[in-house]
This record gives sequence, structure tokens and C-alpha cells, in this order.
Amino acid sequence: MGSVYRLTLRQLSGKWRLSIMTVLSAMPVVIAILMLSSEHAPSVREFEQVVLSGMLAGSIAPMVVLAIAAAAFGNEVEDRTIANLTLSPIPRWHIAVPKLLAVITIAAPFVVVSAFFTSWVGYLGDVRASVAVTVSAFVGVALYASAFVWLGLRSTQAIGLGLLYIVLWEGFFSGFVSGVRLLSIRHYAITLMHGLDVRRFASATDMSFGVAIGMAVLVFAGFLVSSVRLLRRMDVP
Amino acid sequence: MTNAPVIRVDHVSRWFGTVVAVSDVTFDIAPGITGLLGPNGAGKTTLLRMMTGLAATSRGTVTVFGEPVRDNPPLYKRIGVMSEHETVYGFMKGREFVRMMGELRGVSNLEHAVDKAIALVDLVDAQHRPMATYSRGMRQRMRLAGTLVHDPELLILDEPLNGADPRQRVHFTHLLQQLAAEGRTIVLSSHILEEVEQLADTVLLIVNGKLAASGEFRAIRAALNQRPYHVKVVSDSPRTLAAAVVTLDSVDAVHVDPDGAVIVLSRNVRDLQIELPRLAKSAAISLRRVEPLDDSLESVFGYLVEQ
Repeated sequence: MGSVYRLTLRQLSGKWRLSIMTVLSAMPVVIAILMLSSEHAPSVREFEQVVLSGMLAGSIAPMVVLAIAAAAFGNEVEDRTIANLTLSPIPRWHIAVPKLLAVITIAAPFVVVSAFFTSWVGYLGDVRASVAVTVSAFVGVALYASAFVWLGLRSTQAIGLGLLYIVLWEGFFSGFVSGVRLLSIRHYAITLMHGLDVRRFASATDMSFGVAIGMAVLVFAGFLVSSVRLLRRMDVP
Repeated sequence: MTNAPVIRVDHVSRWFGTVVAVSDVTFDIAPGITGLLGPNGAGKTTLLRMMTGLAATSRGTVTVFGEPVRDNPPLYKRIGVMSEHETVYGFMKGREFVRMMGELRGVSNLEHAVDKAIALVDLVDAQHRPMATYSRGMRQRMRLAGTLVHDPELLILDEPLNGADPRQRVHFTHLLQQLAAEGRTIVLSSHILEEVEQLADTVLLIVNGKLAASGEFRAIRAALNQRPYHVKVVSDSPRTLAAAVVTLDSVDAVHVDPDGAVIVLSRNVRDLQIELPRLAKSAAISLRRVEPLDDSLESVFGYLVEQ
């Protein structure tokens, strides 16, 4: 598995991609600083809704992960070097798992650092709250990574479809339709934040901590298993 | 004693929507070099992808070493595949690429195997350069080293000579012959008749997704030599020329088309090339243009299909 992991790290570590991710992940920190330094500083609840839920968990984290994960298989399918991997005498999960780990390895530091400093600024140096947000952000990265790695393998239009999913499902429907939240990575992350620090996001989640953990495990495993099955059954270009 | 085929393709078809790429093809492949020959778009690559398990069949079965090749990763320890796509990991050095291929294929004594594979393709001097700096032919050879690094019993190569210069072609030909002499089975595809003629003992001719002919190359070549050629001759006196040309031994039939060109049907174009100018000179006819009408590979394959 080490070969696929190292190969994927090198493939995904392009300067252009990393630059975009740096800019994206810096945005919540900058916005938080600007909000708190203005004359009309927002309430904690407004900060949680607008910056942590809407921007970090619902937009920046999925977009950063999408930029990396869609390319994990997508680029190799496109340039047809994926046959180098699929023609190897190794189980298909030995290909899918290191690809997913490499995506998390690259995307997580950007999102985690952004989450920590954004919450540190927003919660005025509250360490417990900042750690809760950071851990939740890491879980969110893992879940989005699993979903978008599968999407990159499934479709050559992964970036477009992923953006639609982020805007429509995570951004729009999950905010208005309560049933959709059961299938929303953003809401798993928010529930997890609340579970790790009950003072935070007190009124923002109607999902129990246990359900969020269970659903997160199901989503992560479900997309990973789907990727492995797809690798076994797809026609490799 | 019977030799089980290395590859068995049994009534295999593959279609994409309403397009039939491969239609009810059946053949066995034994050790030695087998050439999969056919014009571009004939279905060679689709057939090779099914033989390597990269693509599923719509109908029929493919077995390699007696086992289904599809969704059977352990079988790839015994198979080396080089696809026609020439994309490489440009950021990797050649040696890194071959080493990675060896790691993925579980090669023991990896560094020795990498040294051996790179030496086989004659790229020792370039092994520490990024593959992005390689010429097309060098990339193909380093990809071949990656295909050979685990010492496979079966090699499946799709258009392997693409991009190779004449010196590299000679080297490649010798290498494949050496590998086959060591008992390996090699299947290579090409749309170039002469390329396959140099290399393959046995030929599978694929046209329009069907197996048009199979067997020893010499038999197929003999059939080709029987093929009549159409030659178009434009002159200042087509009817006089037609009357004279029909008397030549090398000519089977002649007619004049509506544009005034003489269409000559000949099984011996070499003699026709010599006799036609002499005849025109002696009859004081001015030849303006002489051109073969069916010299394309497709027409050659089409002729064989009709036989």
C-alpha cells in the first residue's frame, strides 16, 4: 500500500493546487478576524452559524477536500495511468485505502489549522471549544474525502458534481429540510462539535451525538466500500 | 501430450450501446509471439483490454492460464501488460517508475530486478532522469521495463513500437524474440503489417471487430500476394492505352472510367510498373498520372476478409 500512498501524495502535491487550498483555508480565519474587529461584532451564535457552520464546515472544508479528492483517481482515469495500479496483483482495497489516506494527509492540515485558528479567534481563546471544532473538522475532512474519492472514480465530471453537492445539498437543502440533515456531513460535524463541547452550537443541531457518530461511520465506510467495488467492476480505460 | 492454451478467448463479444466493437471472437493463444493485426478501429485494443481483464466482455469468456482474467488480481503476477497510452508519471525518474511497478507486483530482490529490466531496454544511462524529459521512444522503453520487472510469463503489448525510431525497433525486435525464446507468451497488437511480419510466428487478423483470419503469418502473406491491385492511369489517349495495356501478361483486366482514366487490375504490380512506361513510350502515349487505388491497409485487410 505504501507505493500507492507515496505515488498519490506526489500526484496531488502540485504547487497550483496547494496554493488554492492555502487561500481557501485562510479565508475563515481572515473573516473571523474582520468580524470580531468590526464595530458591530457578531454574537457567538452568529459566529457559529455564519463562519463555522456555513463557511468552514459547509463550504471551505468540502471545497478543499474536493480539489484534492476528485483528482486522486480522476487524473489517473483521465490520463489512463490507472491501469498501472489496477494491473497489479493486489486487492483493490490496497489501492482505494492508500488513495483515501493520501487525500486526508494532504487536505487535513489545511482544514484543521484553519478550523483551529478560526475558532480560537471566534471563541476568544477558548481552548476546549477550539479543540472541539478542530477534531470535528478533521472528521469532516475524512468524510468528504471518502465521498469525493468515490465521486472522482465514478465520474469524469467530479468537480462540477461535487460543487453542486456542496452548494445544493450541504449549503441549501440541509439548512432548510430537517430530514436532509440526517445525510449531511456538515451536520455530523456540527453535532460532533456540540458533543465535544456542549456549550457550543447548543441550538444549532437536532441530531443526537450517537446518531451523528453512527452515520459518519456509515458514510465513510459506505463510500470506501463503494470505491473498492467500483475498482473491481469498472472498465479501466 | 496436449499443450493447454495460455489465453483462451471463447465467443467473446463487446458492445458499447449500439456499437459492436468485438463480435463473437474465438481463438487460443499458445507460447511464442502472436500478432494481433488489424486497421485502426478494428477492435484490437478492446479485445486486448478484455484479454487483460481491464474491460468486461458483453458476452463470452476470456481465460488466462486456465483462470478467468476479470477481477482476478493474483493472476497479474504472471502477466505483464503495456497499454497503447503513452502517458507516464512525468515527475518520476525512470528508475523510480520501474521500482514502483516492481513494488506493486510484489517483486522480491527488487533492486536487482529493476537493474535487469532497465538494462534489458537499454536505458541504464537515462534511468536517473525524470521521465518528462524522455523522448517518446524512451518513454515506451521505460514503460516496457516496468512491464518486465516482475518477469511475467505472459506479455500483452498494445502497439508497442509506437514512437520508436528504426534503431529502437531493431533492439525491440531482438528483445521480444529473446523473451519468446525463453518460453514466454507474447501478444502484441499492431496496425502495421511489416511490423508484425518481423516479429510474430502467428497472426490473428481482426477486421470490423471480427476475427478475419488466423494462423501462420506465411499463409496470410501468401494470400496477400494473390491480391489484385487497382491502378489508375491518366493519359492523353486512354482508349489506345487501354487496348495496349490489356495485352500485357501482368494485367488481368482493364476498363476506362467516365472521367477518361484507365483502370488496370493487376496481380503483378511490380511487372506492371516496368512494362507500363515502356508500352506508353512505344505507342507515343503521354502518361500524366499513375496511382494505386487500393494501397491502404484497410483495403488489404478487406481483401483478406473476402477470401
